[in-house]
Amino acid sequence: MSLNDPQWGKRGNSSGPPDLDEIWRNVNRRLSDLLGRRGGGDEGGGGSGGPPRRGLALGGAGLLVALVLLVWLASGFYIVDEGRRGVVTRFGKYTETTQPGPRWHLPFPVETVDLVDFSQVRTIEIGYRGSTQNRNAKEATMLTEDENIIDIQFALQYNLNSAEAFIFNNRKPEEIVKFVAESAIREVVGKSKMDFALYEGREQIAQQTRDLMQRSMDRYKTGVFVQKVTLQSVQPPDKVQAAFDDAVKAQQDRVRLINEGQAYANDVVPRARGMASRLMEEANGYNTEVTQRAEGDASRFKSVLTEYSKAPGVTRDRLYLDMMQSVLGNSSKVLVDQKSGGNLLYLPLDKLMQQAAPGTVPEATGVPRAAPVPEPTVTVDPTRSREALRSRER
Amino acid sequence: MKLTMPILALLVALLLVASQSIYTVDQTKYAIKFQLGEIIETNADAGLYFKIPLMQNVRYFERRNLTLENPDVDRVVTSEKTPLEVDFVVLWRIVDVKQYYVAVQGNEDLARGRLSQTVRSNLAEEFNKATMHEAISTGRDRIMTETRQKADQDARNIGVEVVDVRLRRLALPADVTGPVYARMESERRRVANELRSLGAAESEKIRADADRQRQVTLADAYRAAQKIKGEGDAKASAIYAQAYGQNPEFYSFYRSLEAYKATFRGRSDLMVLDPTGEFFQYFKQSGSQRGGRAPAK
Repeated sequence: MSLNDPQWGKRGNSSGPPDLDEIWRNVNRRLSDLLGRRGGGDEGGGGSGGPPRRGLALGGAGLLVALVLLVWLASGFYIVDEGRRGVVTRFGKYTETTQPGPRWHLPFPVETVDLVDFSQVRTIEIGYRGSTQNRNAKEATMLTEDENIIDIQFALQYNLNSAEAFIFNNRKPEEIVKFVAESAIREVVGKSKMDFALYEGREQIAQQTRDLMQRSMDRYKTGVFVQKVTLQSVQPPDKVQAAFDDAVKAQQDRVRLINEGQAYANDVVPRARGMASRLMEEANGYNTEVTQRAEGDASRFKSVLTEYSKAPGVTRDRLYLDMMQSVLGNSSKVLVDQKSGGNLLYLPLDKLMQQAAPGTVPEATGVPRAAPVPEPTVTVDPTRSREALRSRER
Repeated sequence: MKLTMPILALLVALLLVASQSIYTVDQTKYAIKFQLGEIIETNADAGLYFKIPLMQNVRYFERRNLTLENPDVDRVVTSEKTPLEVDFVVLWRIVDVKQYYVAVQGNEDLARGRLSQTVRSNLAEEFNKATMHEAISTGRDRIMTETRQKADQDARNIGVEVVDVRLRRLALPADVTGPVYARMESERRRVANELRSLGAAESEKIRADADRQRQVTLADAYRAAQKIKGEGDAKASAIYAQAYGQNPEFYSFYRSLEAYKATFRGRSDLMVLDPTGEFFQYFKQSGSQRGGRAPAK
């Protein structure tokens, strides 16, 4: 067998020589260990003694025994997959945990190996199965500190931090993980107010639950490492869901009302600014208009005054007559000789305006019947007359 | 070759005897060695052990932690007589296997039954001492610890250690959840109303502020505008005064004429005239007799 030693080493170079060397050392150590401690079992004694050196008669049997021994020893090889650990027990007693790679243990019945999923992340769902729609009311319902009822659905992920602890210390470690999770989250939620659990405290609750769980896990030596607790859904119970939804809506309503107020403000204030600008512009316009008009009027007056000073009498008469012509030329008029009598004061003025019939004024003797006005009843277009007046003024 | 058969037979015999006289104790087990029904040895450590075939036999017992779950929920009452439904899990293990065997004949179900009774009565007792709030919140840990300690003391009699007692679920019984839901609902309604009226109040505040801004802006603008207009008026007045002051009498005449023109300018203005005015002095007679027969007034 010693001849095989270097060969194994060479062959192993490709896959991982340290491992194989280690294995060989392991084999030697274990064998000697076993022989030293147990005082030599039947098998061990046969293996270490050199059967080929016995007599010829025993030669065949010895060969057979050696062969059987070789096969038996070879049965001790095993491979630990990545992400697993091999837990080796010798006569039931734990000896070591092996890392991934090819390994060797003393063959059955001396040593046995248990391959345990070590790094694989395991998930437990609490309060639901599969999807959060599929609710498990018994698991999900819990009480908060303010004695409200709340439904929490959560999942937790864990892997192992000690393979031997996981298999040796608890009979049903998966179940323990589950009930510890349920217990821990209720303890945490029991110390939280409902609003905290429902809204802002979710992260904290998950974190505290994880920490609390980990403490229990360590205390029970489960070899479990709780990676993460994730709250899938935190809601009030169905029966009061409507009221809670309404409260959420109320929050939206509040924002909406404020926005509406803001919208109103945004509408009104700029308009007012616009209006203010308009007032200012109008005032400026008025200011300019008034002063310009004053300038105009003043300069016109001055011009007239200049001419007036040259010939006061004539200018005065002309101006007067111009005015009278313009006034009388444009208005209806009734000429009354007041000397004829005071009882003429009754004049149906509105009728006069409509039809300048002479019969209506029977006592107006000696009065020239509105002779200068050809058509006193004509309704005058005020704009035209104003235009006419204006053109005349110019 | 003749020797082969006897050797083989001897080997087989040896193996048989060995298999009967050797036993292993697994890491997860305890073993008790009996000799004709009497306990002569307990093996707490895993490993390889020997026994005398036929005379001695071995029984194994669980060494790992075991769980005990409550099949039903228990109804407990808090100090203020509020009923609660409790569901718990006990984690326990055998520590003294000999004692365990003597007390419950190594029957796990028997042990469970006994543990369950103890834990339940202790739990009920602890809840009786606690208020509702303590039971749910602050006292939870204490209830679990105390129950564990008491149950553990008792369990030692059967060679068992109570590792932990944990309250798994704690709920209000179905018949008292109604009022709780009603209270929760009313609480939410309160919150909702508060939020809405807060919103309305804030909205109103913003509107009022906007209105105020509008009023202030407009008033400011009005003040400034009036000032500008006034300045214009003042300037115009000054200009007029300066111009008209040159000949007040003529201004009054000139301006009056302007005013007459502006006043009587429509055909709807009906003038009743006395033909004795200055304007008509030539209306009745020509100027040749002027002075002789001046119009009387």
